[in-house]
Amino acid sequence: MSTTTSPPDTELHGSASGGTGVDARLRTGEHPLSRVADSLSGLLVKLVLVAAFNALGIFMLVRMASLDAPWYGLVMTLVTTIALNVIYLGKRNLPLKYLIPGTLFLLVFQAWPFVYTFFIAFTNYSTGQILTQDQAIERIEQLSVTTLPDAPRFDAVPFADGDDLALLLSDQQGQEFLGVPDDGLVPLQELEVVRDADQVVEVEGYERLSLGAAQDRIDELTEMRVPIEAGEVQLVSLTTATLREQTRFYDPETDRLIDEATGTTYVASERGRFVSEDGTETLTPGWRVVVGWENFAEVFTNEAIRGPFGRVLVWTYAFAFLSTFLTFAVGLGIAITLNDARVKGRKFYRLAMIIPYALPTFMTALIWRGMMNRSFGVLNDMLGVAVPWLNDPNWARFSVVLVNLWFGFPYMFLICTAALQSIPDDVYEAASIDGAGGWQRFHGITLPLLLIATAPVLVATFAFNFNNFNVVYLLTGGNPPIVGAATPAGHTDILISYTYRIAFESGGGQNFGLGATVAILTFVLVAVMAVLSFRWIRPLEEINE
Amino acid sequence: MRTWRSWLAVLPAAALVLTACDPGDDPAEEPVTEEPDLDEEAEEEPDDAEVDEEAADDVVRADADLVIWADDLRTPVLEPFGDEFGDQNEVNVTVQEVPFDDIRDRLITAGPAGEGPDIIIGAHDWLGELVANGVIATVDLAGVEGELEDIAVEAFTFEGQTYGLPYATENVALYRNTDLVPEVPGSWDELEETATALQDDDEVQQGLVWPTEPADPYHNYPVVTAYGGYVFGQTDDGTYDPSDLGIDSDGAIEAAQKFDELITTGVLSPDISYDLMVDLFSGGDAAFAVTGPWALGDMEGVPFEVTPIPDIEGGTPEPFVGVQGFMISAFAENELLAQTFLTDFMATEEAQIELFEAGTRPPALTAALEQVADDPNFEGFAEAAADGVPMPAIPEMASVWDAWTNAYELIYEGAQEPEEAFSDAADQIRTLID
Repeated sequence: MSTTTSPPDTELHGSASGGTGVDARLRTGEHPLSRVADSLSGLLVKLVLVAAFNALGIFMLVRMASLDAPWYGLVMTLVTTIALNVIYLGKRNLPLKYLIPGTLFLLVFQAWPFVYTFFIAFTNYSTGQILTQDQAIERIEQLSVTTLPDAPRFDAVPFADGDDLALLLSDQQGQEFLGVPDDGLVPLQELEVVRDADQVVEVEGYERLSLGAAQDRIDELTEMRVPIEAGEVQLVSLTTATLREQTRFYDPETDRLIDEATGTTYVASERGRFVSEDGTETLTPGWRVVVGWENFAEVFTNEAIRGPFGRVLVWTYAFAFLSTFLTFAVGLGIAITLNDARVKGRKFYRLAMIIPYALPTFMTALIWRGMMNRSFGVLNDMLGVAVPWLNDPNWARFSVVLVNLWFGFPYMFLICTAALQSIPDDVYEAASIDGAGGWQRFHGITLPLLLIATAPVLVATFAFNFNNFNVVYLLTGGNPPIVGAATPAGHTDILISYTYRIAFESGGGQNFGLGATVAILTFVLVAVMAVLSFRWIRPLEEINE
Repeated sequence: MRTWRSWLAVLPAAALVLTACDPGDDPAEEPVTEEPDLDEEAEEEPDDAEVDEEAADDVVRADADLVIWADDLRTPVLEPFGDEFGDQNEVNVTVQEVPFDDIRDRLITAGPAGEGPDIIIGAHDWLGELVANGVIATVDLAGVEGELEDIAVEAFTFEGQTYGLPYATENVALYRNTDLVPEVPGSWDELEETATALQDDDEVQQGLVWPTEPADPYHNYPVVTAYGGYVFGQTDDGTYDPSDLGIDSDGAIEAAQKFDELITTGVLSPDISYDLMVDLFSGGDAAFAVTGPWALGDMEGVPFEVTPIPDIEGGTPEPFVGVQGFMISAFAENELLAQTFLTDFMATEEAQIELFEAGTRPPALTAALEQVADDPNFEGFAEAAADGVPMPAIPEMASVWDAWTNAYELIYEGAQEPEEAFSDAADQIRTLID
């Protein structure tokens, strides 16, 4: 409620130093009336926000409860909701009122994906291993249900007599039977039948089920089996029935799956699969299990991954460095030019510079791809040349950096313009009086002062380009290919696009566990770079102090 | 176990966020094996970026007794059928629109979490991954099998079980500008001669346009098979055998040499993207094009006819045949109801014709196919399909595309000898599969 009247810093200090200091200050405020009005509207806003949050919390709780969500999810939601009420409705806990929203967002958007990715990296989560063990067992049992060859097929209509269900079955020859669980088929002629306009409506007390009523008892109908000589008749749709047989059954006591047709016994392996006792046969699907450091070991030992890894890593660093350096150089150059009051129409140029930044990468990267087409592209057409922009390894590297420069310089331009405008003019005046020339002023004043402001941005840009999947994937797809690579890889592949090939475009499908592992390793690489860079930047910051 | 699953969809994005990257392009969403749709759906959905951002969210099952996930082309067709079926059975049916290329991945995450649909539409070559993951149920086709095209049923049969009701087939064939070339070329050599002559006379920019940028093993496959090459060997019952890779077989190597020759002689340009192919052909700047029925609408600028690709040195080109169909989720709330809808409502002439009209692909139901066979274009595709082979659905196929694409690119660029390029690709694929 007091947020509208005083800056956060004051309050934080006030609360830290005395607990009720803020309230005291409020009470002795100079304009009691306006403060009351402010705090009233503030109170209203607060109540509405808290109410909205509670509504969301209750909605989530109800929904989670209805979906059998795990208990910890429910508890976390409940605790968060209660905690927020206590914090924001209470008069104490002022620091928390500021810290909580940020902390929550940090947890949800940063910590949780990190923890989750970390967890996935230690599992075999991939194609074929996505279910839980219970789900996998159910699927294996279901998939062993087969329609017998030459099995009779019937048109079927569900009937019911109170709790008992039956099926009116007519075979291919048009013969009609009543199929009763436990009793089998009885020809309709032998039974007492009530017809209404040719339609059988009642047989031996069993009445035709309306379709709506059949829906209500769908589980019973699905489970219903009518024994006949050759096996058991069951529904395959709401209008047809046939003979089916299930061959595989799970025995929970021994944790084994038994195939009754072949007599094979399958044992649950540590890899999340049922494997036959002699180890020769594996059942599909499997389930997800924790495999420890295996994915990490795979990254370092598997020839398929290690093969072109070194080349890709070197190019990744080169690409990230070139992109960062060039965007900064070009952005800064343009910013300095447009910062000069002598340039006419600066507003127009500044707006025009933003265009590449404002357009979606998705569209523009593909447009660049079209423009750089060797035979039909606009670039070669206009220049009257036949440059293999995207076909030759070195040209392709050049093109990727060029296009990324086009994407990236407006951002640097914005940052540099802002930073330039914050450098006081009198510094330059003083330098001019001392006789410094243009280059000296740039080298001695502009660049150091600018670097202080932009160094963190440069580090962030490097990290971003280290993983700039979009540009590489959309422009070249990592190609042209490297001749003779152990696994498919291209001359413009960076670590992330190469990982994508390995984890999602190859093997037996998608390998999320491996993907998460490489993401973590990439994170380590980038983090090390960032720490080193910041250490390098620190002396610069000291200049400012 | 809901919580961790609901994050699965976010995983690739999360992995990128983790390393301070823009997750705009969720890699898991990219089509892996469905090559023809790579081009075609991009055409139909200009706002890909939006769609992809949504990928981070779950598509949550609509609140209905029977939920169907279909793409933008088929959703309007299915809705009236769903309503009718709902009225008859006293249930409510909802058709949710999901981009075609997203359906597979979303089923994999949403299905086991209990938030998936009962029925999806999809391509048969998804089967390998969907079955391996255990997210689709078998579909009983025994009642309607005889009424469907054999190749369509074969495509939806995986390890001896049927997993879907097919509704359409698609494959590549030869588009011919009938103004420029009135007669069907009798052989591949004749086609080459005609194309080269038109090109030399400057009547067209490029005689024959073929998607080559990026290189496209899917469109190239008819040439490979004409020389007796293959991707995976087939066992007697038609199942593909991942241990028998044919990319370095003699026939495939011959095909590789043929592509090298076609590029060298200028019959094929290595710089034709799918869009360029469509532009050139529909603008009358190309005499022949090779692609599938999804391009029919876009080619309308010129009079054309579709026929099978002519025999190449006596060998018959066998294109990959892709089959689209309905599949039932293993986690369907009401499997019997889903099965009823498919066999009683979707295996009908009426439904298959309407799906054909929306998707311009030949129907899989024989009776419906006969109805549209009067249209010579569909006849052309159907004739080509008769020689075709189902696209392999085994998950190992995912390892093939990237390596094979690279091999073709190296040949197109003259960066490697054709035979070496193919045998390297085969080695790469074997490394990946093991």
